[in-house]
Amino acid sequence: MHMCRSEGKRRYGGAARPSPQFAPPYYRYDDIYVFYDDETTDSERWRIDRAVKFTCNTKDIANAVGAASKVVNAHTTVPILSNVLLTAQDGTIRIRATDLEITLEQGFSAEVTEAGSITVPAKLFSDYLGNLPPGIMELSGTPARASVKFERSNYDFHALPPDEYPPLPSAQRGATFSLDAKRFREGVGSVVFAASNEEARGAVLMGTLLEIANDSITMVATDGYRLAKWDTKLSRGIEGAATKYIVPSRALSEVARNLGSSDVVEVSALGPAQNQLSFTAGPTSIIARLVDGQYPNYAQVIPAQFDRSVTVNTGTLIGGLRRASLVAGDRANMVKLAVANQQLIITASSDVAGNAYEELEVQQTGDDLTIAFNAKYLAEILNHIDSPQAVLEFLGPLSPAAIRPLEALDGTTQLYVLMPLRQ
Amino acid sequence: MIAHFDVDAFYASVAQRDDPSLRGKPLAIAGSSRRAVVLTASYEARPFGVRSALPLFRARELCPQLVVRPPDFARYHETSRQIFAIFAREARAVEGLSMDEAFVDAGTDDFEAAVRYAQDVRAAVRSEVGLTVSAGVATQKMVAKIASDSAKPDGLASVVPGTEAAYLAGLSVSRLWGVGPKTQARLSARGISTIGEVAALDDDAVFRLFGRWGIGLRDLARGHDTRHVESERETQSVSSEETFEEDIQNIEGLCSPLRELCADVSRRLVAHRLRGRTIGVKVKRADFTVAGRQQQVAEATDDAEAIYAAALACLHRVELGGLAVRLLGVRVAGLAEDAPRQMSLLP
Repeated sequence: MHMCRSEGKRRYGGAARPSPQFAPPYYRYDDIYVFYDDETTDSERWRIDRAVKFTCNTKDIANAVGAASKVVNAHTTVPILSNVLLTAQDGTIRIRATDLEITLEQGFSAEVTEAGSITVPAKLFSDYLGNLPPGIMELSGTPARASVKFERSNYDFHALPPDEYPPLPSAQRGATFSLDAKRFREGVGSVVFAASNEEARGAVLMGTLLEIANDSITMVATDGYRLAKWDTKLSRGIEGAATKYIVPSRALSEVARNLGSSDVVEVSALGPAQNQLSFTAGPTSIIARLVDGQYPNYAQVIPAQFDRSVTVNTGTLIGGLRRASLVAGDRANMVKLAVANQQLIITASSDVAGNAYEELEVQQTGDDLTIAFNAKYLAEILNHIDSPQAVLEFLGPLSPAAIRPLEALDGTTQLYVLMPLRQ
Repeated sequence: MIAHFDVDAFYASVAQRDDPSLRGKPLAIAGSSRRAVVLTASYEARPFGVRSALPLFRARELCPQLVVRPPDFARYHETSRQIFAIFAREARAVEGLSMDEAFVDAGTDDFEAAVRYAQDVRAAVRSEVGLTVSAGVATQKMVAKIASDSAKPDGLASVVPGTEAAYLAGLSVSRLWGVGPKTQARLSARGISTIGEVAALDDDAVFRLFGRWGIGLRDLARGHDTRHVESERETQSVSSEETFEEDIQNIEGLCSPLRELCADVSRRLVAHRLRGRTIGVKVKRADFTVAGRQQQVAEATDDAEAIYAAALACLHRVELGGLAVRLLGVRVAGLAEDAPRQMSLLP
């Protein structure tokens, strides 16, 4: 505790306590009463004084702290990063959390008696709030302690000084654009699953590419084996040349999860180097540090043309793939698809489990074909197709295949590319 | 009937066979590094207290006239192949435990016939390979192994069917499969020192001492071991490790040995047409504590670079606690042979 080091202050404890009226010249600081004296600097006085007090709805604060705590890295070794920052000012409480890659801030209205900040352990505080019934609570705090009064209960939580909390990136804004919230959710839902989740394969493939032109946005994710691409018109695009960002995929998932009832997502590039992207939807802002790197030239790996295709009921194919993959054993989840005579035959087999055979009616165009896929990858892609009928397009057994919905949503295209298995 | 064969002081015996000047002398096979340990000690060296895993400098203190030779693994492999070929001549199944040790299903239920088979094998190895093998013959694996241990060197011990429990009863619990120094200490605190005393425990006592796992242990102690000899044990994992001449202080210093270990694992995976999805590292810190981390990769691999990338990520997650590193190991598991290969979209 930094205050106790100063020679110019005296501490009282136990019986000698002054009455807790908190009137100058002393102030309660974590059960220690500190006297101001002539040597107390302004900044010290500011620290001592910087308390916070507000009254709010338990549901509002539980939602905001719950959303923020999802960003906290449970394994961080920096104590302050396990905490959420609460800032009360002008009738608004803002809750912020960060893992230094993603920062989430959510605000809500409250009755602020004393403006100020405090940080409390995210998980503990979120769990506590999640167990409170609806009602009104009062929070008052000093840099080292947060006290919550709710009906006839009273809790004190250990806090850490708010001035140690990482600051928000510079507010200097670059390119901005906005996107319909529902569309944004569709886009993220369509592509993010295809990104890599292995750090060992690098940050670029763990990211999702956002390409913004003056009237459209394209999202692309790939782990090197499958690729997902989605694009749509923008409600407000950017001016000038197209811009590309590689955004950590989990940041996009966080944004999609926190859209609430907002209609629009506002996106801006931040910072002098424009190396952060902020997404704001209603009361929630998420700021993501962009991945510094070169995204693979995805257009090059998507074949321009295919020479054969099948149109198939999406749900029926998913069911067949999932059942067949059960007997594929440890052999890379291999299922074989044989297309002939307007039929698609799924087979799989392994020494341990047995054999699978499924016959599906399809609409076939072009030559017959047999091709092998990892059933897990193919089923996962089909699961993200927003159409009762899916089209699978092929060039040959060792060439990339495309999967897309038969009927695209208005103004939106969804395309998947999957590489086959080589036996 | 099951026979357990174990070549006597394998590495040392091969050296003495190939170089007559070493015969009758206390011999240790060991590497040349400052931290080398004895891999095998010849029977002449053992009365001095020289044994496997003893640091070489300690061995030289105990036995100043000790002769030390480096290992010759190519020679051991060749010799091992000859010996296993002899095991397999009459056997129903051979389960190799290491280069010089195996369980063999003798292919007969007749005790006398099994003992004759084991004697024939011992004679054949002596005349054709020039090494002595000790053998144990019993109805079950553990008893056969304990018998062959007791017959060393150059002996054969057999346990007549039906007398297994009696044979085991007087032996120390440490001979029981799965009882290490810790369990032994816990048992001795309860006054249990022989296998017979374990055999006499009831279910309650077994649960309290060992948990559920203890029932199997007591079955072994009672002479109930139903495990078969499994030929061709599937390779579960491929690993490679290195003890450093000098402790390595930081992650940066570990990168280059890690890369070599990954390359070694990769070469062996390719040679056996295996690829694996689980990649892990093992670290022994300067204080001899061991830590490990592993992760699954999306696609099974045999590629040195891919193994290295995953192993490095694992290494970063190992808490070194500020300690230097003595030993580093890399392991690839979750193996499949000749599995189909996921093609890559990206160049």
